[in-house]
Amino acid sequence: MNRRLFIATGISSALTACSPIGTALNDNAGFHHFLGAAQSLNHAVIGTRGLAREYSERDIDWNFRVNGLPTPTDATYEQYVADHFRSYRLVVDGAVERRGAYTLDALRAMPQVTEITRHDCVEGWSAIGKWSGVRLGDVIDAARPRADARYVVFHCMDRDDQGTPYYESLDLHEAHHPQTILSLRLNNADLDPDHGAPVRLRVPTQLGYKSAKWVKRIEVVGSYANLYSGHGGYWEDQGYEWYAGI
Amino acid sequence: MNREPGTKVYRYAVLTRVSHWFWVVAFAVLVSSGLQIFNAAPYLDASDKSSPTHRVFAIGSPSDGVGTTELFGHTFTTTGWLGWTDDGMGGKTARAFPGWITIPAYQDLADGRRWHLFFAWIAAACWLGWLVSSAIKGNLREIVLRPSDLPKLWPMQAYYFKLRKEPPPHGTYNPLQKAAYTTILFVVAPLVVLTGLALSPGVDAIAQPLTWFFGGRQFARLWHFTAMLLLLGFFAVHTFQVATQGIINQLRSMITGWYRLGDHDGVGP
Repeated sequence: MNRRLFIATGISSALTACSPIGTALNDNAGFHHFLGAAQSLNHAVIGTRGLAREYSERDIDWNFRVNGLPTPTDATYEQYVADHFRSYRLVVDGAVERRGAYTLDALRAMPQVTEITRHDCVEGWSAIGKWSGVRLGDVIDAARPRADARYVVFHCMDRDDQGTPYYESLDLHEAHHPQTILSLRLNNADLDPDHGAPVRLRVPTQLGYKSAKWVKRIEVVGSYANLYSGHGGYWEDQGYEWYAGI
Repeated sequence: MNREPGTKVYRYAVLTRVSHWFWVVAFAVLVSSGLQIFNAAPYLDASDKSSPTHRVFAIGSPSDGVGTTELFGHTFTTTGWLGWTDDGMGGKTARAFPGWITIPAYQDLADGRRWHLFFAWIAAACWLGWLVSSAIKGNLREIVLRPSDLPKLWPMQAYYFKLRKEPPPHGTYNPLQKAAYTTILFVVAPLVVLTGLALSPGVDAIAQPLTWFFGGRQFARLWHFTAMLLLLGFFAVHTFQVATQGIINQLRSMITGWYRLGDHDGVGP
């Protein structure tokens, strides 16, 4: 057999072996878990430091891309939309000394911040929007987290086709980042239903799945291990990293 | 030192050999998991945010059974190869890169990221560890292209083209090897690492000038993909050279460290 042909065959079979070997290892629970070790390294090295870039008006995507689970269509949400969210309350509870229930007007009466930041989806695309609302840190501080509080969990109104609700979580440090806001407005208008009305979390230092839409309840907890599948978020429960800064 | 052809010299230190093979595995994983990640948004834009008007490259499936690839506005039918491909589960589907080249074979962005973000550390550690250790030991100068090598580049190429009987005299690495390794070690490897970091919103918040320098996040994605293609190009030439310039000697030396000198091989810088 021609030696070069033999070598070429050897190299090509080595190349085409990558995917099957990788797939077999990927389906091995132990190895899959081992690969996840990089997450804590990424979290420790990158973490949440500094400020996300802020853009100017001319960079805005006026037709901001809609993505994620479908807009809620249940009776409660329909009722909210019909009465312009007058009956909506943002509940803040859990490991706090002072529980709260904010109307939209109460949130609007708090100090507002506006930021034009980039939304980076885990899929790879990016869009720039102008977000206005309340600093999450202000809402959390008003509730006075207890000493055992570590995470802030966002319960949302959207559900997937299995009926599983969307939720997300941040640690207290990320929750107090100055650009982490509960946005009420996008691109100079009140949030519309498809963009997460009436309240959407915005976390510009992390990937888009952290920026939960249709937030109805903020629960301060010591651990998220007993919520849903225990990984701290809807997408996290499906294998995505809890630390979404990379 | 004896430089007679046929003499065996200890050419590659343990760290060089170990990092070389770790890098081979890491590179294979990074390319296949990277294509898996690319499949989730199979287009590249020369802009900060996603913008169809700045689209340079896109893979799509306009209708069932048809795959297309668009490059600089020109569309090519690539059914079976790109766009409409192997779904990794025995069927065909609308998918940019085929399952036989991705990790895992089936479409799974979360797991592709898991592999990619793990092996990125291995590849970066091999590159930086080897670079620092070679700089400390002093043998980095054997491989770095220097101004005195420039006049020898064409004669070396002429030798490869069989326009010249003898290669120009050189040390451990010939001038073209030095040019290739220097480009990979000091230009392409840093490019692939930095453009990868520039995609992270967390890194962008720490070092805003980095993402800005590459033209923004989507542009950084384009550079990251381009750097991958350059590395693949190097890999193709490198394996061809290894395969044709005494494959047994080459492979053995990268496993045991001992290399048998050929007719034109030198030793030293």
